[in-house]
Amino acid sequence: MTEIALFGAIEIGLVYALVAIGVYLSFRILDFPDLTVDGSFPLGAAVCAVLLIAGVNPWLASLAAALAGAAAGLVTATLNVRFKILHLLASILTMIALFSVNLRVMGRPNVALLMQDTVLTPFYGLGIPDHIVRPLVVGVIVAVVVLLLARFLSSEFGLAMRATGVNARMARAQGVDTDAHVYAGIALSNALTGLAGALFAQTNGFADVTTGIGTIVVGLAAVIVGETVLPARTLALALVGCVAGSILYRLAVQLALSADSIGLQASDLNLVTAVLVAVALILPRLRAKASRSVSRSPSAAK
Amino acid sequence: MIVVEDIHVTFGRGTPLEKHALRGVDLTIPEGEFVTVIGSNGAGKSTFLGSLAGDVLAEQGRISIDGTDVTRWDTPRRAGLVARVFQDPMAGSCAALTIEENMALAAARGRRRGLGLALGSDRRRNFRDRIAALGLGLENRLHDRMGLLSGGQRQAVSLLMATLAGSKILLLDEHTAALDPATADFVLDLTRRIVRDNRLTTLMVTHSMRQALDYGDRTLMLHEGRVVLDVAGEERAGLDVPHLLALFAKQRGGVEISDDSLLIG
Ligand SMILES: Nc1ncnc2c1ncn2[C@@H]1O[C@H](COP(=O)(O)OP(=O)(O)OP(=O)(O)O)[C@@H](O)[C@H]1O
Ligand SMILES: [Mg+2]
Repeated sequence: MTEIALFGAIEIGLVYALVAIGVYLSFRILDFPDLTVDGSFPLGAAVCAVLLIAGVNPWLASLAAALAGAAAGLVTATLNVRFKILHLLASILTMIALFSVNLRVMGRPNVALLMQDTVLTPFYGLGIPDHIVRPLVVGVIVAVVVLLLARFLSSEFGLAMRATGVNARMARAQGVDTDAHVYAGIALSNALTGLAGALFAQTNGFADVTTGIGTIVVGLAAVIVGETVLPARTLALALVGCVAGSILYRLAVQLALSADSIGLQASDLNLVTAVLVAVALILPRLRAKASRSVSRSPSAAK
Repeated sequence: MIVVEDIHVTFGRGTPLEKHALRGVDLTIPEGEFVTVIGSNGAGKSTFLGSLAGDVLAEQGRISIDGTDVTRWDTPRRAGLVARVFQDPMAGSCAALTIEENMALAAARGRRRGLGLALGSDRRRNFRDRIAALGLGLENRLHDRMGLLSGGQRQAVSLLMATLAGSKILLLDEHTAALDPATADFVLDLTRRIVRDNRLTTLMVTHSMRQALDYGDRTLMLHEGRVVLDVAGEERAGLDVPHLLALFAKQRGGVEISDDSLLIG
């Protein structure tokens, strides 16, 4: 792997780390399988790109992308909480709708960012090679997000959100408005994904409606890899695990693609990712089964 | 004080499985009274406690707690007034959160939850002292996940959690049913202590006639969604388990039941 490819993998891993954290919030903390991210990621990219072309400040454009993502999350949460549509289905509805919305936002399937200033522009002139500047800037943003989120989740409000996902009945008995916490959590999750989309557009120089396909699976893969390499005892560590998982996943993909002997192409990525996630989901089950049959056999011998 | 006026609850209204679970319950429970509730399976005991807590809303009648009409309030809104311990030790706490996180959740019951740290050092110290008073040696395990505790330990911590924030009433729905006899006795003694020290108005559902008479100041028997026996004071002091069993059997249509244990179910 070349140095450029290495830093490229780290960069894209860091961008998707925000998706992984969002997915961790919905799937793990709220126990709400939310596929909206497939739509909110390109939504963030689209909103950011269009605003940059309109001459808006890149930080404001990124913030707007996050807010757009949050709005998408609120739609899913409303369909589920208010109208009792199954969470998976609710999020698929939002995701499908967002495909059209994203086309409307951009006015065409893709938008190139050529001369526009991005959040990266001020850092390009500092004498550090561009391919290192990008992961550095994104890395700092991710670090800030991790710190803020870890603090948020250890607040009273954040603790109530975690309780909502673990035991909603108990949470309600403790006076937690569980509906409000689902709204907040899913909005936050998609806000992070929208921000990731904005960073993707700015680091890659384009926004495209098709970039959203498989976002959820990539996010899940990162979460699972993270949990495997860093079985976290605390919440802050779990968030770091998401970031590490996302980077490791990209490095593994990069390695697989650059090893000519395997014969994989970039277009095989989704297949590889899906297989990886499926295996990761199946493994714990098999392991549990194996340990059950091991523990059963001695008692059967009695 | 709890005032319940003629409440009715029907599950699955208009379906073939329609169940009229509460059929006009009328009660006044004065401040600080400890009431035990008995009745056969399906009598409506859990539904009655649920209607006090807000899990089920009465379709008719009125409920007020300490002079506030809460008839239309949902569970989270009533949580400032109502503390509970469930039958299932798993139900009343979050297994995946630590003991101190569970306590922090309970300590904020009925309050607005802001962005302040859930576990400051003052609060931690307070939790450690409170849990040490249980005498279970849990004060050194505050960082352990709740799921690691035994059922009895979890119920004891749940009881403690019920007292961390002020409340007007305490609802206990067969909170010792999942425990072995010795642990159940420990948790019941703890219950008695906590109810007395905090002067809580308490309703405790139990399937043990012995417990129903030994604990508290007043005993209710529910049957088919109605209160069929309501005894306190002298009259209650004169009752013993055989009397109660006879009354119980009469309600069930004259079938003789000879042993307390038959009713545990
Ligand atoms: N959510 C529900 N939906 C439909 N029917 C219900 C529901 N909850 C309770 N019921 C029915 O209402 C009746 C009263 O149930 P409840 O749980 O209050 O009884 P209980 O006195 O607590 O009994 P047990 O001693 O078995 O706990 C029962 O016939 C029960 O099947
Ligand atoms: Mg019951």
